[in-house]
Amino acid sequence: MFLAVFSPKGNDEVSLDATLMQQLLRRDVSAFEELYERHSRIVYSLVLRILRQGSTAEEVVQDVFLQLWRNSARYDTSRPFVPWLLTLARNRALDHLRLKSERQRRREEQTEEFPQIASAAPEYEKALDEKRRAERVRSLIGSLPSAQKKAIELAYFEGLSHSEIAAALNEPLGTVKSWIRSALMRLKESLQATS
Amino acid sequence: MNTHDQFRELLEAYALGSLDSVDRALLETHLASGCAECAKALEEARWLVSQLAYLAPNAEPSDMLKGRLLQTVRAEAAGGAGPQAVRGAEVPWWLWAGVAALLLFSIYSAWNEQHLRRTVTNLQQQAEAQRAERQKLEEQLRVAKLQAHEAMIWMDPKSVKIMLPPKDPKMPQLEAMWHPEMGLVVRGWKVPNPSGNRVLQLWLIPKAGGKPMPSMTFWPDANGKFSAMVENPPDTMSDTQALAITEEPVGGSPQPTSAPMWVGGVS
Repeated sequence: MFLAVFSPKGNDEVSLDATLMQQLLRRDVSAFEELYERHSRIVYSLVLRILRQGSTAEEVVQDVFLQLWRNSARYDTSRPFVPWLLTLARNRALDHLRLKSERQRRREEQTEEFPQIASAAPEYEKALDEKRRAERVRSLIGSLPSAQKKAIELAYFEGLSHSEIAAALNEPLGTVKSWIRSALMRLKESLQATS
Repeated sequence: MNTHDQFRELLEAYALGSLDSVDRALLETHLASGCAECAKALEEARWLVSQLAYLAPNAEPSDMLKGRLLQTVRAEAAGGAGPQAVRGAEVPWWLWAGVAALLLFSIYSAWNEQHLRRTVTNLQQQAEAQRAERQKLEEQLRVAKLQAHEAMIWMDPKSVKIMLPPKDPKMPQLEAMWHPEMGLVVRGWKVPNPSGNRVLQLWLIPKAGGKPMPSMTFWPDANGKFSAMVENPPDTMSDTQALAITEEPVGGSPQPTSAPMWVGGVS
């Protein structure tokens, strides 16, 4: 059981993103600029971490935000915006990282151009604003043993499969599966917990 | 642990994209079976995985990136095409249908115009051919009537035959037949063609001793044969003393300009 803490700021931010996305439908450039100001840093940070090259990362970020502008009608405003945007950016960056490799095909099979994100955010999303959620994520993953932390990073930032991670870390496959699952479960618990 | 719980354990790794192919196929089969509980849990797992983005070290994109993006977005906004309209698939179906109909109509109009042009040209050619054929038939009819008229003059007992001996003994003799109502016919054989632009002209010499009265002009064919008829001679047979033929310029003369080559008295 978790004890959700109501956070007006967090809800306002979610609502503001949905409003800005609706304004994009009316070709509101100022709404686009505000969305960019609000989210370009985390999107760029994520893409740069995956691609490790500034100029290429900026190309991908540009592509992501132009897709936002041109296909805003395809975003369901009832869904949480930031996770959707981050998933879109991650997919684009991984596409760029491994064009048409086996791993890309595997990921394409389970994701669409516009990613599937929860139709409604988990209750605990409302408990923490973005900044505090980011701190929780970094704190929790940072507290993991280095090999387990590395397994999570290889999966998320490199797009590696369980078998590939096991080979890369020279660890049993079952151990890698367990590490990843337990890390994500601990993360979930951490985000559910009150401050 | 039952089978359903085993699938629940795979959901986070599936959302992360790290499941190997066998596990992924098994889970997708289970999800496709319509398990609402797992579908909801998967949505939450995707949200959870998206939070890993905060592990990325903070970084700041360049101002140039923002400048480029806003320049593109402003240009597209000012271009009249909405963010959704740049996609071809989102152009309304009725607009495509209208364009297709217009294109088909244009093609049909161009084809129809060509077809009509060809039809008009063919009709014009047919009309021209029919006009030429009618003229040919009219000419044949005129010649046939003339020949019939000449034949009637020659055969009618009221006609009077007039011989026209040549002044030059080397020239052939001509003959004429004059009917009081139907007219006068002159004919000859082996008559040489007049020289240059000259023709033969018939004259009626009055009994009263007046000036010769000009009548028709004519010329023989390549074989020297001719048959010329005057339906309404300028004077009556009873007032005419003789017929004479001279050589005159093309178009004839109001009075003789050369000596008669043939002369025949009218009895």
